[in-house]
Amino acid sequence: MAAPVLLAPAGSPDAVLAALDAGADAVYVGLKGWSRGGARRELGWDELAATQRQVASAGRKLQVAVNTIPKPQERAQLFERIPALLDLGIDEVIVNDIGILAALERRFPELRLTASIGCGAQTVADVAFFRDLGAHAVVLPGTVSPAEMREIRTVRGIRVEIMVHMVEEFVLLGKCWMPSYVHLKPSPLPTVFPSEVADAGDAPEGALRGMRQTGSMKRGGVGACFRICQQPWELYASGRRVDARLFPGRQISRIAEVKAYAEAGVDVLKLQGRSLPVELLAPLVRRYREAIDAGTVSAADEIESAALPATWAVVGR
Amino acid sequence: MSHEPQAMNEFELNTTIANLRDLRESDLRDYDAVYLGDIYCRIYEANFLEHLADLEEGLQILQDQGKRAYVTTYAAPRNDFLPKVRKMLEVSAAAGAEAVEIHNLGILKIAHDEFPQLPVHIGGFANVYTDAGAEALRGFGAVRFTPNYELSLDEIHEITTTCGAPMELLVHGKMPLGISDYCFLLEYEEKWGIKCPDLCQKELFVKQGDWAMKSVGKGILSGKDVCMLEHLPRLLAEGHRYFRIEAVSESPAYRREVASVYRAALDRTIGGDGAVDEGWWETLRRHARIGLCNGFYFGKSGMDYAGIRPDAIGSLSTISRAES
Repeated sequence: MAAPVLLAPAGSPDAVLAALDAGADAVYVGLKGWSRGGARRELGWDELAATQRQVASAGRKLQVAVNTIPKPQERAQLFERIPALLDLGIDEVIVNDIGILAALERRFPELRLTASIGCGAQTVADVAFFRDLGAHAVVLPGTVSPAEMREIRTVRGIRVEIMVHMVEEFVLLGKCWMPSYVHLKPSPLPTVFPSEVADAGDAPEGALRGMRQTGSMKRGGVGACFRICQQPWELYASGRRVDARLFPGRQISRIAEVKAYAEAGVDVLKLQGRSLPVELLAPLVRRYREAIDAGTVSAADEIESAALPATWAVVGR
Repeated sequence: MSHEPQAMNEFELNTTIANLRDLRESDLRDYDAVYLGDIYCRIYEANFLEHLADLEEGLQILQDQGKRAYVTTYAAPRNDFLPKVRKMLEVSAAAGAEAVEIHNLGILKIAHDEFPQLPVHIGGFANVYTDAGAEALRGFGAVRFTPNYELSLDEIHEITTTCGAPMELLVHGKMPLGISDYCFLLEYEEKWGIKCPDLCQKELFVKQGDWAMKSVGKGILSGKDVCMLEHLPRLLAEGHRYFRIEAVSESPAYRREVASVYRAALDRTIGGDGAVDEGWWETLRRHARIGLCNGFYFGKSGMDYAGIRPDAIGSLSTISRAES
């Protein structure tokens, strides 16, 4: 039984180094302007280039999230920049949309594309679909059990990742437009690549490269979702107010089932949280490293959700 | 059975019905087609997708009425749904369903590989956001697309002009906003003395500040009714011919009266007159519990209203109106 890869999140160059130091086999970061979760936890081009050099010199892998859903004209501009990523030695890209996945696979066969957790895969048939679409990897939520994963792993030809440490919100990831129902605010995309600054001339920011759909969880945006599901609400039944409450949500930490997932054939154990500060990220990664190396860990050793800041749950994953 | 719209003066008006009781109680005279099934929950009352004898009967009822009979499918299945999904698709194909609506990409693969004779309509939860998304799913046999509800009419038009994919648009009703693995209503079984599957038959709204949404257990819908009555001339001018009245959680009266308005309005618009009767407006306002909105069709927040009738906006105070 091969040990699964430990894939850690990072929202800054310091976080990348901390994750590597804590034992991550690979790290994923957001590309400024093109990742869900917001600019505060993304890496600009110079940061990305320097980080890739450090990760490669440590013999680890860097994945880059390009998981907004660009409109056609924005998509073309992104495609022009993919060769620059490949030149850096970055060939693993996380996407959030079937269209961009299929298009990238056709244009850049050397890319290794991951269908992100926002693609909504949960079943053995979903995984087979994404393999057929051209994905090299697919991410499933930590709500998928080891028993389900054993069936899922009967699908060959695709790497299966599971988000073992994550927040489960009431509405499934990739299937929620409650925030944009309440508030949708398009905002200009920031510039990322040096050539874009030169190309922009006197044009306002975003004019060349399109808009982020702030408020859309699926399409991505700065401070994306306004946390609609985390605010208290009142329940009315047949015209009567019957309760005041929150939508159910929970922290999932499946560290006690690391061995079960490994035995089920999971390739990658992924941790959620590009917005986690270094002082929280490092011990989290270390605990999972130890669990993988030990092959098991008792349920009593589960990481308590209280270790995470309350504001972390939605914004900046 | 009726035929697919061919000429420029033809269109399809369709809706969704979850179970045999609702189907029998519904007057479908103004609909051309019906999707059978509830996409949110396996234990929704007598869900066609689980009660396959009912599904066969439902398809027959529609065919006997000369309607196009479609079947929908679960939006967020798990592994243990899939054997039943396969049986449901088998029954649907054998009973002459004219198409299957698919929201989940794994079910799309199953349909494509194992039931290639069933035309596939892509549902809103499949997340078609761009022309590239539509093209990708065409490779899996999709012939009609409900774009993600977050898209504006301009974005939808861009898809249709780029790849020619026929779109099905929600023109009226409560817009799906999300789906969960968990039904929080089950927490109220003891407190309310009502058991599943009767819990989600109640009219349930969740309200927070200046917005509200409708709960159907695992599904969350818009609190306001999307209403495109004023904008039918634009929809037809842009080539759209497939229109959905989302009424799966509504009464037979809603289903009948709203369809009557849209049938008359579409017929009139195709005849060159886009005027809206005051009576139509009153019917739609009466059925909308907390007002009307335009969804995301005009690039704004989904609960915004962009029309010319200020009374369409409605009020959240009507949530607590006593049930008539």
